[in-house]
Amino acid sequence: MAIHERSLVEPERIVRKERLVIDGVDVSGDWNLIILPRVINDYDLDFAKEIINSPDGKTINQCYQCSYCTASCPVHNYWDERYNPRHFIYLARLGMIDELQKRADVMWRCVSCHKCTHRCPKGVLVEEVLKVILRTMAKKGLIDEYPSKKFDKFFTESVLEYGRIEDGELLFGWIEKQGYNVVKDPILKKPIPFLGETPEWLKQLVMKPIKSMNVSFLVLNAKHMLFHPRTKNWNKFKQVLRKVMQEEGALT
Amino acid sequence: MAKGVLVIGGGPAGLGAARILGRLGIPTILVEKEDRLGGNPVLNHYHTLIPRKLKPEQVIGPYIKEVESNPNVQVKLKTELSACEGEPGSYKVTLSNGETHEVGAIVVATGFEHFDPRRKGELGYGLYPDVITNLELEQMFSKEGRLYRPSNGQLPKRVAFVFCVGSRDRQLGVTNVHCCRYGCALSGLQAMEIRQHYPDVDVFCYYMDVRTYGTWEYPFYWAPQEQYGVRYVRGRIAEITYSPADGRLRVKHEDTIVQRPSEVPMDLVVLVLGMEPSAGTKKVAKILGLAQDPDSKFLVPSEESGSNIISNKPGIFIAGACKGPIDIESSLSEGEAAGAEAAAFVGAKVTV
Repeated sequence: MAIHERSLVEPERIVRKERLVIDGVDVSGDWNLIILPRVINDYDLDFAKEIINSPDGKTINQCYQCSYCTASCPVHNYWDERYNPRHFIYLARLGMIDELQKRADVMWRCVSCHKCTHRCPKGVLVEEVLKVILRTMAKKGLIDEYPSKKFDKFFTESVLEYGRIEDGELLFGWIEKQGYNVVKDPILKKPIPFLGETPEWLKQLVMKPIKSMNVSFLVLNAKHMLFHPRTKNWNKFKQVLRKVMQEEGALT
Repeated sequence: MAKGVLVIGGGPAGLGAARILGRLGIPTILVEKEDRLGGNPVLNHYHTLIPRKLKPEQVIGPYIKEVESNPNVQVKLKTELSACEGEPGSYKVTLSNGETHEVGAIVVATGFEHFDPRRKGELGYGLYPDVITNLELEQMFSKEGRLYRPSNGQLPKRVAFVFCVGSRDRQLGVTNVHCCRYGCALSGLQAMEIRQHYPDVDVFCYYMDVRTYGTWEYPFYWAPQEQYGVRYVRGRIAEITYSPADGRLRVKHEDTIVQRPSEVPMDLVVLVLGMEPSAGTKKVAKILGLAQDPDSKFLVPSEESGSNIISNKPGIFIAGACKGPIDIESSLSEGEAAGAEAAAFVGAKVTV
């Protein structure tokens, strides 16, 4: 049997039975298809209030759903039309969390071009508001964190520890975090490039510049990988920085 | 001495007309079927008027005071027009108290009445005590000065406004296909008043589109959302039901932006009523032979004159809500315009 407005019904709501008997009556045939109700029974206003009350989410109340932002959005227009800033605002304002979660796979895809914010006729800071929605959802465990967030954390940790990053460690340490089997030297426990598993794209990415480097530069790089360079007098600063970041809740 | 003018209706438009006629020194008879002047805003105890957020006594009070004290104006309360004969320039009018008068011109300001929401049975008005009209909400504010659920006297946690009850509705027949013009703005104002005094009460406005036209856009549509956090949900409420389990109402609708059916709990539901021509308007139109809109039965101005207060009968002028939905302040100024036209018609010579 055809389903009216099929695109609106999630597959898990559609129940088909080979044979269906209700109250002793065999209704198999055309009547063996059931769509579980899609009724919205309530709004989650606590969720909505958390967004509205956050400093960068205040402008969400100014939206009048003209969809200027969505029409301007490159992600919506050229990647996936399920990415719809206007709609996310409406859903967040009424606290329709299940509808937001349905779009969890596309919600992190903002490219921060800020066209929405620049063009909004009501002065909604669309890009900021969407980040607040995502942040609030992630905080409440309603959406998985965007994968790039893991890299950000690794990067921050490296900077915090040494005051600067080291390219080789960042790359191969990150590869290790991704689950690749990296071979380490027995004494300093630093990853040795290309001995263990290395993704093909990384080999291509790194081999080309290495081939064109002179020997002294390669030696310097190898030395840095073994003995991580540090910023002068970093230890004291590190302690202060960590303390401040902890107080601000920036270290999670 | 110029002939007198009869003004029918003691609401904003009638008061506007009577005041200007009195000021111009024209003998004027003002008939009002109720026992006091002021019309709907005063008789029905409106709380705050759009668009200037003034009280009825601030806007209409000065008019009533001047009309009652001006010796040129005779106010006849509990009186209606019962018959009219004669020709333009000398109409012989008979009033319901038996008096007859000869007047040079007539100003019709017979106004509107609120839609009766019992005609929309699916909205449960009269069945569930917590479904009230926006008029009753105004009276709740103006008479008792507090917000409560009529069923238990408690403060509601959530209030819903249902737009366009009795407006833009072909189901009621061709008589109610027009827009009430004030509803969106008044709902915004009432929602703001609720949020201002009870910040913990969540207010929802269920709309199809919001028609806060002209300069009303910011104060009555943006301000409720931006400053007071009133939530606008797109979808027309199709049914209101009651759940004995939690004692709350359910508003049934489709959220047309999310494209999902919804049955959301509410504690107090406010129906935003449309406007219909009053019984007096229909009666006067029959007696005087005035042209009416074939659908809504509101009075329509003459096509030849260009002016929107000149009727199809020479010497008869129409002003205010008898011609269709209009806000109170425009109604006052239409009355004043009609009064001035009537004065010119009866040949008043005004010297300054």
